[in-house]
Amino acid sequence: MDQARVVPVDEFVRDELYPGYKQEFGTQPFVAGPVRPFRKGDEKRYWLRDSLHFSEGMVPASIATLDDAQTWGAQLGAEIVGVPPTLGSVNRLAGTHVFIGTLDVDTEWQVQARAARFGQYVTPILGDFGSYWSMRAGELQAGYDHFDNLDLTPLDNNQLWGTLKDAYAFHRRAWFTHFEVMYVLTANYLAFYALAEEIGLEGSQVSAFLSGQQTFYSKTDEELWKLAKRARDLEVQAPLRHAEPVDALAQIDALPNGKTWRAEFDQFLRTYGQRTEETCRVDTPSWIEEPSPALYAIGAFLAKPAGFDFHTARRRASEERDQRIDDARKTLNGDNLQRFNEALASNQAANFAWWNEEHNYLIDRRAAIPIRRATLELGARLAADGTIEQPDDLFFLFKPELYDVMADPAASSATGRWHELTAMIPDRRAYFEHWRERGPELPPMLGTIPDTVPDPIMIEVFGLSGRFLEALRTNTGNAKTEIRGFPAARGTVEGIARVITTVADLHKIEPGDILVCGGTTTEWTPVFGIITACVCDTGGSLTHAAIVSREYGIPCVVGTAIATQTVKTGDRVRVDGRAGIVTVLR
Amino acid sequence: MRHTPATSVPVTLVIDLDEIRSADAGRVGAKMARLGELRARGWRVPDGYAVTARALADPDSPALRDAIAQAHERLRHRTGRVGHGALKVAVRSSAVSEDGDRASFAGQYETYLGIVGIDDVLRYIRKCRASGGAVRALTYRERFGAASRAGTADTGSGDTGSGDTTSDLAVGVLELVDARSAGVVFTLDPVSGDRGTLVIEANWGLGESVVSGQVTPDHWAVDAGTGEIREHRAGAKEKWTVFSPAAGKVTTEPLPPDLAARPCLAEHEVRYLCDRAREIAARAGSPQDIEWAIARDAPFPENVFFLQHRPETSWAQGAAPGTPEKGFDPVQYALRNVFKVPGT
Repeated sequence: MDQARVVPVDEFVRDELYPGYKQEFGTQPFVAGPVRPFRKGDEKRYWLRDSLHFSEGMVPASIATLDDAQTWGAQLGAEIVGVPPTLGSVNRLAGTHVFIGTLDVDTEWQVQARAARFGQYVTPILGDFGSYWSMRAGELQAGYDHFDNLDLTPLDNNQLWGTLKDAYAFHRRAWFTHFEVMYVLTANYLAFYALAEEIGLEGSQVSAFLSGQQTFYSKTDEELWKLAKRARDLEVQAPLRHAEPVDALAQIDALPNGKTWRAEFDQFLRTYGQRTEETCRVDTPSWIEEPSPALYAIGAFLAKPAGFDFHTARRRASEERDQRIDDARKTLNGDNLQRFNEALASNQAANFAWWNEEHNYLIDRRAAIPIRRATLELGARLAADGTIEQPDDLFFLFKPELYDVMADPAASSATGRWHELTAMIPDRRAYFEHWRERGPELPPMLGTIPDTVPDPIMIEVFGLSGRFLEALRTNTGNAKTEIRGFPAARGTVEGIARVITTVADLHKIEPGDILVCGGTTTEWTPVFGIITACVCDTGGSLTHAAIVSREYGIPCVVGTAIATQTVKTGDRVRVDGRAGIVTVLR
Repeated sequence: MRHTPATSVPVTLVIDLDEIRSADAGRVGAKMARLGELRARGWRVPDGYAVTARALADPDSPALRDAIAQAHERLRHRTGRVGHGALKVAVRSSAVSEDGDRASFAGQYETYLGIVGIDDVLRYIRKCRASGGAVRALTYRERFGAASRAGTADTGSGDTGSGDTTSDLAVGVLELVDARSAGVVFTLDPVSGDRGTLVIEANWGLGESVVSGQVTPDHWAVDAGTGEIREHRAGAKEKWTVFSPAAGKVTTEPLPPDLAARPCLAEHEVRYLCDRAREIAARAGSPQDIEWAIARDAPFPENVFFLQHRPETSWAQGAAPGTPEKGFDPVQYALRNVFKVPGT
């Protein structure tokens, strides 16, 4: 590791997670390692900024959901599945921003013991993944049916508090399921990847072999395009194109056909609107509460009058996939061909490329909504009786603090504990705002940048390839004209770059732009219908941008490490998605 | 109850099916071990018992004869066939070694159906056991050379193995299901290998006509995800296998034309078989082919019995059965190539 470069953590080292809150042992359900602020000793390891899932920082209440998800959920999943080399992911906070690291299994006995049980756990699930996933998805759906249909207003405070505890329990369970399934499917995918390399194919092609299955989100996009077309047909497009979303709905209502379109839009939200913009963030509204993201997407689609032909795009994507599979088969025979066919069949039945997109609807973007609803209802009651100032004050209390005071509300008022907590809320709000502003300037990685990362999941999902790490080590900040990354989707395009660092700026994207960003998630999917190419700092063969670009038939380069720092909005760039090269032409 | 004669070297001779679990494969063979496990876990499997491979090393011993007679009597009581018609059984080989298991399932070892009375049971157990040697010799020479794998039998009893090649075979005795319809369900398409499809092949009567390939059976293809029946092809079904009371034995005869013209399963039976088959495969951890029979004298679904199951390898193994390393095992690749676990 002689080439290693250390990015110091000093300025982020803290005792407290937020003003007035220090974690104590036992307040967190961790298996291998808790969420906590940086310490100096953390500098010996690498920590990747996870702006993919959490771009704007975490309020105190979201620390509990983060803990259940990427920390505890991942660690419990890795433990139960028995992933041999890793105990799962672990998180540190720089201010309010999430960094992710991994915990390696570092003794031979544990590796062997985990390997032995790994097969026992994984084999039956992969043997019948369809049944297995419908069981897990059914369990989650039953939970949503309960929480979504629950009218909170008639509940007394005690019942409401019970509902909030239920919502936390459900959230935690959803995240265990997330990582259980993720590790099993990733193993299947990476096994195919390894087989491909063994028989002389490029492993990175494997995700392309698995593309083309419809997901809940591709259906959402299609529905958004239909709503755009309906807006044109019903002549309500002007507010969608030109007004701020907050005003657009009122303006649409005033138009002759406005009510018709609104009814269709509301119908759409009932099915597709149970989603927030980021993962685990209880402070972000669902589309049903705040439909701006859907309205932005429809507005953007209206700017592309020809629309987007999903049918043709899907057919082309399937044809390209089948062609690639056929080409691969032509190079194989005998046992290798047989193994390839088996691995393909196994991965088509238990398809990580598909699940990686699909699961967001059931878990990442939805699991915290029941917590949010119950918290806001409780907050409204506490604000009404003067305990707190406004309902969302509760987002600035940590879960252990809230549990503590709610265990005996009368005593908490009498002892002044409530007052003590509410007194800290203004400072905590300021702290959150301070770090939100600092978000874009945070380094992509802290601690010691290694030559390689052993965890294959970090490589394929987060894109921590050797090339990515080298780009980080050697990035001197000087203007570069050529950036290399992972070739994620074929094609070459020249155009004007639009650099976007937060999901909140998605509406700035214009049709024809080349999108340059940290990484994309489900919320970004609609923009793939209007951009001409996509370039990301992070990501490997399995990341969202790679998968969605192939579906939409646009060139894509991911895992560049430095694209957002190197390219400026307005630059003329060329993206070569086959070679994985982005050239800045200026 | 394990019936062990009082000798200085205790050898388990006969084990009732209810006592058998997968860990007993070393003595009762893989087929009977899987059946015992299946029954223990609540799937309907006909009652019966197994004669261990080690016991069959000395097939003429009086102790073995006594143990079988006692087991058969217990079975008669359990199945209520005491004074209510004769107990008819199927006598089937159950190979201890993996290769023998493969040959056994493929029908290369004898199966005798509709056997009545302890004398015939004993006779057919001995015939079963004798059928082992020839097939074994052939398959071993073809695949591994003549000297390989001798003496793998009966590891469960603590016996180190005698080297007697015939000890590879145990024998199972199961009550014969008086089948209205029977056949096989595959939890993947045995032709394409598609795991998204289940396939049922079936005929009227006992499953023998389907398994032995004597008829073109009825065929159903079912979507593994939705459970919808995607395809049904009526088979020609010229013949069926039935127990002929006149002959006092199981025979294969021309199928009456009115039956041949009708599908031998109702849709709800197809779906039920697929659901159970998927559960069995999920538990087994790999695609399975499963023999089943639907009895004519009980209400649905109590009349659906599972007769044997094993990993489906005709597609996965292709022309080279017995060499799993030639296939794709995601766990093996993940451990060895991805996680790089030493020793994998």
